[in-house]
Amino acid sequence: MKIRQQLFQFLNLAFVLSSAFMAWKSLAVITNSKSPIVVVLSGSMEPAFQRGDILFLWNRDKMTNVGDVVVYEIAGKSIPIVHRVLREHHNAQGKQLLLTKGDNNAVDDLGLYAKRMQYLDQKKDTIGTVKGYLPKVGYVTILLTENVYFRFGLLGLMGLSSLFSKE
Amino acid sequence: MFNISNRFQYAANQALSSAIIISTFVIIASIAQLVVNNAWSLDTTSISNIKTQTSLKKSFNYGSLNRKPKENSRIQFDLVTDLRPLFNWNTKQVFVYLTAEYPGKKDGSSNKVTYWDKIIQSKDDAVLDLSRMKSKYSVWDVEESFREREAVLRLEWNIQPWIGPLLFGSTTANSTFTFAKIKEAKTP
Repeated sequence: MKIRQQLFQFLNLAFVLSSAFMAWKSLAVITNSKSPIVVVLSGSMEPAFQRGDILFLWNRDKMTNVGDVVVYEIAGKSIPIVHRVLREHHNAQGKQLLLTKGDNNAVDDLGLYAKRMQYLDQKKDTIGTVKGYLPKVGYVTILLTENVYFRFGLLGLMGLSSLFSKE
Repeated sequence: MFNISNRFQYAANQALSSAIIISTFVIIASIAQLVVNNAWSLDTTSISNIKTQTSLKKSFNYGSLNRKPKENSRIQFDLVTDLRPLFNWNTKQVFVYLTAEYPGKKDGSSNKVTYWDKIIQSKDDAVLDLSRMKSKYSVWDVEESFREREAVLRLEWNIQPWIGPLLFGSTTANSTFTFAKIKEAKTP
């Protein structure tokens, strides 16, 4: 009887984890973005976005407008960057080149791109355009990744609660 | 039945659903207020007295590759606008930017560049009256030259909310100018 209960609990946990994973992946399919929800990590877009704010992305727009805030990732550099589009140049075939800049930065992003790279390719380099904003909530993930005490404290609490809980 | 984890789950659920209801209300009410204030058809803007200047730069930071001279354009303008209708209780900041749109070489190609922008954080600073303002950015094109094309200037805005969707719009004013020819070096 005991083992049946434990197996059931394990199944429940697996169900929770897999449904969270499915929700994330279906959101990625709907928005056509590999990471449809991002947490702001730097202050380069202050005062619009602060560290820990949550942004909702959409990546199905054919063209990006000047003034839009995009998230882009340069091949070879692992950190995605959230900056505003300063210029756009496009042709009839739908190829679009973008130059971006952080609101809080003095100069444009030429120095952040790869060597000798002058523009972003809208299709290739951008992960999505910022459509929605939720303040502060994402700070938990920053605490989890940057604060060792918080991470182990939370893990310990979860372990303790699973030890003492009886369903 | 009512152990700590149950109570915690119940409280967390309640907090989450209340938060969702409140933020939905905030978003809908603030957008409704913008519609009532005619935010998407602001006609109090004028852009005038535009002067343009084109020069050659050889730095990578000014669009040049291999130190090949690159045309850079700057403008000077007068701007009058009243952006107070964009501010309500869900406006964190308004980002205003002056864009120039001009055609490319082939049919269907187009370019849009920003000459100037400003972050406005309070309603008290939302009335702008700038004269002989210099462009904030030195602008270069994907092509070699601006070829004295005609560009349309527009004042556009982006409302950054405290919570909810980012909103974009443009004032009804527009104004045209022609990219200046490069000043020829004087022959000795």
